[in-house]
Amino acid sequence: MRTYILRRLLQIVPTVLMITFVVFVMMRSVPGDPVVALLGDAYTEEDAIKARDEYGLNKPIVVQYGIWLAKLVRGDWGVSILTGRPVLQDVLIRLPVTLELIVLSMAVALIIAVPAAIIGALRQNTWADYMATSVAMIGVSIPEFFIGILLLLVFSIGLGGFLPSSGWIYLPGTCPTLVCGASLWGNAQHVLMPAIALGVGRAAILTRLLRASMLEVIRSEYVTTARAKGLSERPVVFKHALKNALIPTVTVMGLQIGFLIGGAIVVETLFAMPGLGTFGIDAIIARDYQQVQGFALLTALAFVIMNLAVDLTYTFLDPRIRYA
Amino acid sequence: MRPRFLLARPLVLLVLTWIVALPNFADAQTPKRGGTLRVSYGNEIAHLDFHTAPGYEMMWVAMNVGCGLVNITPDGKFVGDAAESWTMSSDGLLYNFKLRKNVLFHDGTPVDAAAVKFSIDRLMDPATKSGMRSFFESIHSVEVLDPLSVQIRLNQPYGFLLHMLAAYRTGLVLYSPTATQKFTLEDRKQGKPGSIVGCGPFKFVEWVKGNQLVMDRFDKYFVPGLPYLDRVVIRVIKDPVTEMAAFKAGEIDFIASFSPEHVDTLKAQIPTAVVLTGKETTPMLAAMKVTVPKDGKPMSKERAPHPIFGDLRVRKAIGCYGIDRQEIVKIAFKGKATPWVGMNPPGTLDTVDVNHLCPYDQAKAKALLGEVGYGPAKPLTFELMADTEKSVFNVIATVIKEQMTRIGVTANIRLVDKVSWMNTTLQDGPWDMYVEDLLSLITLDSNGYLSNSTSTWSHPRHNDKRVDELYARYAREMDVPKRKAIAKEIQEFFVENMYWNNISGSPFYMVAQPWMKGYTYNAEFEVHYDKVWLDK
Repeated sequence: MRTYILRRLLQIVPTVLMITFVVFVMMRSVPGDPVVALLGDAYTEEDAIKARDEYGLNKPIVVQYGIWLAKLVRGDWGVSILTGRPVLQDVLIRLPVTLELIVLSMAVALIIAVPAAIIGALRQNTWADYMATSVAMIGVSIPEFFIGILLLLVFSIGLGGFLPSSGWIYLPGTCPTLVCGASLWGNAQHVLMPAIALGVGRAAILTRLLRASMLEVIRSEYVTTARAKGLSERPVVFKHALKNALIPTVTVMGLQIGFLIGGAIVVETLFAMPGLGTFGIDAIIARDYQQVQGFALLTALAFVIMNLAVDLTYTFLDPRIRYA
Repeated sequence: MRPRFLLARPLVLLVLTWIVALPNFADAQTPKRGGTLRVSYGNEIAHLDFHTAPGYEMMWVAMNVGCGLVNITPDGKFVGDAAESWTMSSDGLLYNFKLRKNVLFHDGTPVDAAAVKFSIDRLMDPATKSGMRSFFESIHSVEVLDPLSVQIRLNQPYGFLLHMLAAYRTGLVLYSPTATQKFTLEDRKQGKPGSIVGCGPFKFVEWVKGNQLVMDRFDKYFVPGLPYLDRVVIRVIKDPVTEMAAFKAGEIDFIASFSPEHVDTLKAQIPTAVVLTGKETTPMLAAMKVTVPKDGKPMSKERAPHPIFGDLRVRKAIGCYGIDRQEIVKIAFKGKATPWVGMNPPGTLDTVDVNHLCPYDQAKAKALLGEVGYGPAKPLTFELMADTEKSVFNVIATVIKEQMTRIGVTANIRLVDKVSWMNTTLQDGPWDMYVEDLLSLITLDSNGYLSNSTSTWSHPRHNDKRVDELYARYAREMDVPKRKAIAKEIQEFFVENMYWNNISGSPFYMVAQPWMKGYTYNAEFEVHYDKVWLDK
């Protein structure tokens, strides 16, 4: 097991390098560079040339990447060209917000998906199953921003500010500021709508997947045996069927992390959340190469680590799986 | 029959109610101290070095944290800020400013003549790379006469020195020499605690990029009793729908710049909202490139006429007679802007209505194009660039495209993001026409750096020295009627040569809650919270 984990951890290195290199090259292939935004109204061709030289933007891309990598090895994620702020400091400030959003949206997805899938599978072709399937279809079809706007219309505008639409309040202990509100209740109020907006789409996908998996498992021989032994329905479903049916679902959950990070960009913008999504999109728009690299590195790391965690979860769900 | 006393009772009740309510009404008119003003900005603050950061969002912070020598009122009068009085010599070359005695920076150091000299010198230093530097070119030197007297010596008379000090971009923002030397530029850019030291009504507390900026009342502000507010919190809400939701829910008190296309929805949704708007000071233009580098190297001084718009007849056919400005305003702005061909929007000082020079005339446009050789046998096609910063740009581009088909011209729209647009236009890249709104103009003079022949920001890259000469003459003229005449000459010259192709003014909106009192609307130029108070 330990060897397996070590091997997988080592595999992360080339994966992350590949991702960051592709992002590095792509960003520099897009028209425009941060110097234009940096100099703003003071832009002159002479100053632009000086600035490009100063930030090493005139060097070949491979050399620039090598410099970035060499700094990264020393723990230096670079400094934003536009703001002069250390990138690592900025991403660490924003990480808890996005992490919280992703975890809670996944929780929302599971809270909806697991019961809906179980009901759908156990009562196949009944009205309950049709309802669960239909709701799942609707959830898959509606983009996050639309769900977000609907939630805003109902809970913020319609119900006179029942839930706040903006003005993020941090979880206690994660507040990076001197004058920020940090409270559990305030944070819960702020994160609820974004988590639902982001989670509903995932719930729909997971419901369909888990239902199909459950249908397959509950028809398997060991479930029939369990029932024949006289086990009541609850342990049959939750202990025997669900646990096995969860394996493909957990795989997809790991893959969904990437989509959640993408969705977080939209949801964070809509709800004015100071998370990594808005950080990433602002960096891309401003061509702040260092910030984009920081964003790409962190999301790539999150993605591969989550997938490793998913693979390790298999051993818990199915004891037959052993990693050597 | 109803007894008379019963009829009289509602009247008595009404009078009593009025008497009881009277003190409250009076209270409502007397500013109340305290409270937090929650402001929403639609864009992120770039950074916090006021002398170099771009963008209105930074400027609106700088105006409240910082103080300068003078401010300007909406009707164009100058009022003292740190300066209590000023005089100008008869030759217009010397300005003497007398400073107030009790003005302090937030770090406790005095705002004196040395601080004024330090700040102006810093802005004029090329190493500072301030976008304000070009505005200070008329200044020869700054001299400290005594601790409270400072003299600005000019290279030549400059009729807009006070305008410039008050409201060209941030205006002059005074920096504390002590704090500036103690902290690095990077510290200031990041808003490191202690590094942002001004002399305005609010002291900077903190800025968390992407989240909020907080300013607190400066108790030693030099105007007694001001500011009324304890705190101002600025949040960035980029989505107008979210902004509206937050406003309706009472989460924010003031939207500093509201998207024009959502104003009607906001008014319908929130009838109590106070929508502030005024004269149009931002030009919306469809610029045409006049020259291209002869040697193919961007920014080359050797210029050749642009293959399409290098010919004045084509510029006039397309920009002057081929564009129906009324229709664009009707569709893109729902009629809430003024069709305006002159380079100075209708709300800018010394503006002149020169719309008569460019009536919409398809036949004339076609005839001019025919003169150049364009027609059914040789159709004209050009690229029309619009950036994604505001949806209205794309709408205008679409209407222009439709109008071009009416005169047998094909305009292919290229939609790009803001940085790509800046990159292409600033660096002399390949483009034919673009739709954009540029900087708000308080005076025609402030447009010089966007449109004279040597300016980097003059995207069309015309090389007509007559433009520079006209601007210089205008800036040096101290006699107001004569200056107005030159202004008219400039605006007519630009239309005649189509170096600057305006479509209209661009409306600007702010939105306030009914309980936000004391705010004076002065478009984008002056956004001050010192007299704001909350009636709730």
